[in-house]
Amino acid sequence: MVFIGSFALALALVLALYVVGASLVGARRRLPALVDSANHALWAMAGMVGAAAGVLLTGLLTSDFSIKYVAEHSSTTLPTFYKVTALWGGQGGSLLLWTFLLAVFAAVVAWQNRHTGLELTPYALMTLALVATFFLVMLNFITPPFARVFPHPAEGGDLNPLLQNYWMAIHPPSLYTGYVSTTVPFAFAVAALISGRLDDAWIRRTRRWALFSWFFLSLGNLFGARWAYEVLGWGGYWAWDPVENAAFMPWLMMTAYLHSVMIQERKDMLKVWNLALIGLAFALTLFGTFITRSGVISSVHSFTQSGLGPYFSGFLGLVVVSYSGLLLYRVGRLRSAAELESFVSREAAFLFNNLVLVGIAFAIFWGTIFPIISEAVRGVKITVGPPFFNRVNAPLALALLFLMGVGPLIAWRRATIRNLALNFSLPAALGAAVGGGAALLGVTQWYVLATLSLAAFVLATVMLEFSRGVNARRRTVNEALPRALSNLVAKNNRRYGGYIVHVGVVMAFVGIVASSFFKVEVKRSLGPNQSLDIGDYQLKYLGVSADETFHLERVNARLELSRAGRPLGMLEPGRLFYKLQQQPATQIALRSTPGADLYVVFAGLDPKTGLATFQVFLTPLVFWLWAGGVVMALGTVIAMWPDVREREAIARAWERQAMGLGAGESAGFEGEPF
Amino acid sequence: MKRLALFAIFAILAAAGLPRGLALARTVSSAPKVSVNEVAEGLTCQCGCGLTVANCNMPTCSFSVPVREQIEKMINAGLSRHQILGLFRAKYGEKILSAPEAHGFNALAWVMPFAMLFIGAAGILIALARWRGKQLRPASAPEEEETVQHYDRRLRYRLKREIERLG
Repeated sequence: MVFIGSFALALALVLALYVVGASLVGARRRLPALVDSANHALWAMAGMVGAAAGVLLTGLLTSDFSIKYVAEHSSTTLPTFYKVTALWGGQGGSLLLWTFLLAVFAAVVAWQNRHTGLELTPYALMTLALVATFFLVMLNFITPPFARVFPHPAEGGDLNPLLQNYWMAIHPPSLYTGYVSTTVPFAFAVAALISGRLDDAWIRRTRRWALFSWFFLSLGNLFGARWAYEVLGWGGYWAWDPVENAAFMPWLMMTAYLHSVMIQERKDMLKVWNLALIGLAFALTLFGTFITRSGVISSVHSFTQSGLGPYFSGFLGLVVVSYSGLLLYRVGRLRSAAELESFVSREAAFLFNNLVLVGIAFAIFWGTIFPIISEAVRGVKITVGPPFFNRVNAPLALALLFLMGVGPLIAWRRATIRNLALNFSLPAALGAAVGGGAALLGVTQWYVLATLSLAAFVLATVMLEFSRGVNARRRTVNEALPRALSNLVAKNNRRYGGYIVHVGVVMAFVGIVASSFFKVEVKRSLGPNQSLDIGDYQLKYLGVSADETFHLERVNARLELSRAGRPLGMLEPGRLFYKLQQQPATQIALRSTPGADLYVVFAGLDPKTGLATFQVFLTPLVFWLWAGGVVMALGTVIAMWPDVREREAIARAWERQAMGLGAGESAGFEGEPF
Repeated sequence: MKRLALFAIFAILAAAGLPRGLALARTVSSAPKVSVNEVAEGLTCQCGCGLTVANCNMPTCSFSVPVREQIEKMINAGLSRHQILGLFRAKYGEKILSAPEAHGFNALAWVMPFAMLFIGAAGILIALARWRGKQLRPASAPEEEETVQHYDRRLRYRLKREIERLG
């Protein structure tokens, strides 16, 4: 079986190389049959990588410890669920998952574009196959997941206990899906640069892929934050760790890209900028992998450090240099007849939105690599941690929130004073009222007041947009309110899906700021029947219970929870001990409500005194961070939903291209935020 | 409709549990100025967890647990956050601080993000001014000719579509 896996990976590498060659030659010499064969080879490559992943998964499920990867990352006592997730719990497996996702996406792209001619698609497939080639070289020669161990052990080393959590089942695959799918728009950008088809056709054909990538990057980051919240047991969810930063930066770039492509689609501007953004987003996904794998920067998330760093940095360098070269080669043809009537316009607002997003990404990048720079220049290793990132990003985040409110309502081309007054007087008044109200209620932190004001401002702008759209439908088509609302969203899904995403972002913002500023912490040791108070909650310690499986030992503390004297049930935080890894772990107890999360950590039991130590956090509004994530996901799905008008626009774009017309005449959609 | 929008916003904020969150905020706002956590947030735990001393939650951590106790004693002795961080820096070196100091070479860490932002903002303003200038400038003869050709192509394209539709 191991032989099948190794052989499948070797064959996949050969097929990937064939796709590179056949796509390039087929496109240059206009040979459709050769390009067709490249498509077939790509599908076969996806099949081979899928087969290899299947073999490794089978090895994990059957505890085949003759495979070194299985012996190191699984055990006979590991629950089946975690045997599956162990596929991405180590180096070779996670690279295999990455390559599998890339191969599947490339196969889907080849299928979607099998009738679109030789202009862009072959070059895009070539790029996808080139990236796959790099990963397949890693899998075949550098970290082979099917390396054997002899004599094979009777028991495996087990999966890292921190990874034995249900969020790890969906966090890495979501993040990888987000990372890997950025390769598709990047590949079409490369195709546009090579082929010289520099209008917005490549953007339109990859719009849904870009949204797909953004969707999964958002989920991947949120799931990772949730994992940290539940597993690391420190009451927080984001520590500005290098690996967290590395996952956040591509999200910021993709967010900037999704906004700036609207300008290109509508005004035929920012061509170079959009190409640069997608190149940066892809490069940052490689940078993220480099950070996770290399161990150059220490991280709480680096479970799979190895000697892959130089290979990834080499590939990253190659990508950056060759893509920059292509961009410089075409820069003369990318200049557009840009026109702008006013600094006070939606175009200008979008540009500043891009500046802030890229500014935040740069600040995070700079903070992440500064320890390396400091060590290289001064020979002194320093730490760049949360205080730096919070302080630098706080004002930028407020600016972003403000622009998120301005963008949807400010007029295209030129905003008049009347337009500004009409659109912004109510949101501004509401923002001021909410900020003032919060101040009267006793909030003194200016940052919190500003966030609440701006959050209300953004929500009001979104509500205004919805109410105007619904009103217009009710007047013109005479529809009832619910029907008018659903039709409004259905017929302008891209625009209103984007607004819903904005609402989700605002909810997340409020959750983040409130939970950062107002978290309350109590640490106390209690004997049986003793209580502690936090906020208006009371926790009474009743005692401990213990249980044991083949895999782990667990000690649970039983705490009776009440609020203002009203019983609310039991909480059972625990201490776990994983036998094979000889490693302790925390199992938190959580009571989550929209108002606040009560988060209880059982820190330990003193056998001499019988005292149990608890660390309890009361974190206001953190619920809204996760709820905001759900709303963001919902909005993105609505924005991604197939749109007949868009399909027609793409078809027309191709037709125009064939007739030698520019993209400037393209029919952009009215004011859509996505 | 505006009233409906207003109502919806307040309903969302009310549902968000904001009043309760704000009540908690009041409690926190009235707490003493320097807490152990505020100081511990400025120090990096040296146990290898990669978190700050405030966030390292290993109950038996050989570094963060005694350091938090030391911080508490120092606060009780009347030392400020700045003084406490200075003492730890003197003992363990720069690596103990969770953020770079704002002087010397390390100031670059703080300055660069904002410098790049200002450069970017200046670049955008210059580009906007140029684009705006282009819009305001009267079109020269060759540009007019190009526009005519451009519209000519558009008209031909529209004509082709109309003919196809009729056919």
